[in-house]
Amino acid sequence: MKFWQKNTRHIYWNPYFGGFMLGLLLIATFYITGRGVGATGASKSAVITTVEAVAPTFASESSFYTKYYDEEKNPMKNWLVFETLGILAGALLSGALSGRVRFRIQHPPKMTPKRRLILAGLGGILFGLGSQIARGCTSGAALSGSSVLSLGGFITMFSIFGTAYLFAYFFRKLWI
Amino acid sequence: MKEELIISGRNLPHIDPHLNLWHWQISLYLFLGGLAAGILFFAALVTLLGKEKEYEGAVKFATLIPPIALVIGLFVLIIDLSHMWYAWRLYVTFRITSPMSWGAWTLMLVTPISFLWVMSYMKEYFLYWRWKEGWLHKIEWVVDWLANNRKLMAWILIPSTIILGIYTGILLSAFNARPLWNNSILGILFLTSGLSTGAAMIILFGRSHKERKLFSKIDLILIGIELFLITHMFMGMLAGSQVQLEASELLLGGQFAVTFWVFVVILGLVFPAILEIFELIGFRVPVYVPALLVLMGGVVFRFVMIDAGQLTRFLY
Repeated sequence: MKFWQKNTRHIYWNPYFGGFMLGLLLIATFYITGRGVGATGASKSAVITTVEAVAPTFASESSFYTKYYDEEKNPMKNWLVFETLGILAGALLSGALSGRVRFRIQHPPKMTPKRRLILAGLGGILFGLGSQIARGCTSGAALSGSSVLSLGGFITMFSIFGTAYLFAYFFRKLWI
Repeated sequence: MKEELIISGRNLPHIDPHLNLWHWQISLYLFLGGLAAGILFFAALVTLLGKEKEYEGAVKFATLIPPIALVIGLFVLIIDLSHMWYAWRLYVTFRITSPMSWGAWTLMLVTPISFLWVMSYMKEYFLYWRWKEGWLHKIEWVVDWLANNRKLMAWILIPSTIILGIYTGILLSAFNARPLWNNSILGILFLTSGLSTGAAMIILFGRSHKERKLFSKIDLILIGIELFLITHMFMGMLAGSQVQLEASELLLGGQFAVTFWVFVVILGLVFPAILEIFELIGFRVPVYVPALLVLMGGVVFRFVMIDAGQLTRFLY
């Protein structure tokens, strides 16, 4: 039996090794593109494009959207959008290599898939709000920021993981 | 006295400063035409090789697409015409030097056959209809006759779908005033792309693992050929004159570079090829992912070629 035909569905990398590789990836990103990585930027671009298309007057007057409002330029022509496409493609390849690619909703044993999806949606909304207040997410602010020794990056990093650590206690019953 | 009329200056709306006549209709039609040609070509080939039972998706199910695709394609093509009520004039003549004439007549052949092909499988789609009663009994002999003469239709389809596939490219390359289109690779490139999207569609309709695997292999080979042809197209242009250099610049670093390289070459050709290789080696990849990506790449390719080609010209 070849190695890829074995059941490796739940074999993931060691998280510390994964983190190390992420650091190397970040160096490569700085070298190739001249800037750090980002994850929420693409959805932000999509939101800006939608708002500009649906309500152009609002977009040109709102203090948040004017920063990105430019009739000449398409907000989707942003490198983060293409980076995110690349993430999707790479993740699919990596999943295929481990025989993990199929449609499913991963959920803890005690939680129904529906509940899991609702909670994930809520969490995503909170994270989206937070990332706009902090001007970046785990990748854009914490990872890329702290790698260039930006104080904001470190604060974001410790706040995200620190509060997650604190709140995990209250929500632990959902998972175990 | 001889009268002479002198016209000076150029006032050609939609032609100057660049051609601005062909829009999404043409791109969509070229895609749908190529797709229909691809599916029907493989359906005919499978039929002629006598493997209908093994590759049912190709002959019976994917072939539901070409009639729809051709009708939609031809409809948008006609609504794009400024004088749509004169479209019939294509059918009062045949000009051997005009790609449009070739296309019009080939479509006149392929479109009805695509309908008859589907009709020939009527009895197999609707197994439980009472074919011996009522109005169904009256048309039964037509369906039977078509089913018995499927090989004849296949013999007609093989050459005519190849002509249809090539014509979608030749239609553009015959424009000698548009340097991006005016190259000899385009016809065969569009044919290959059409066959590749056709194979991808057959994968989506595949009824067995064996069938999906075969068409994945075919698609992989076609993607390889397509990449080879794209490389050659650029090599030809880069070895050409200034207008060709500037035309290729649109795709190699200009306005259309991102769309072309990201959505056509990487996500539409290279990435699905990698996924198909993975799948053939034995990794589990959902087959419809590469197939849908190939179809997406085919659509974007037509849009890029139509939009970019109209910007290129000889006058500067």
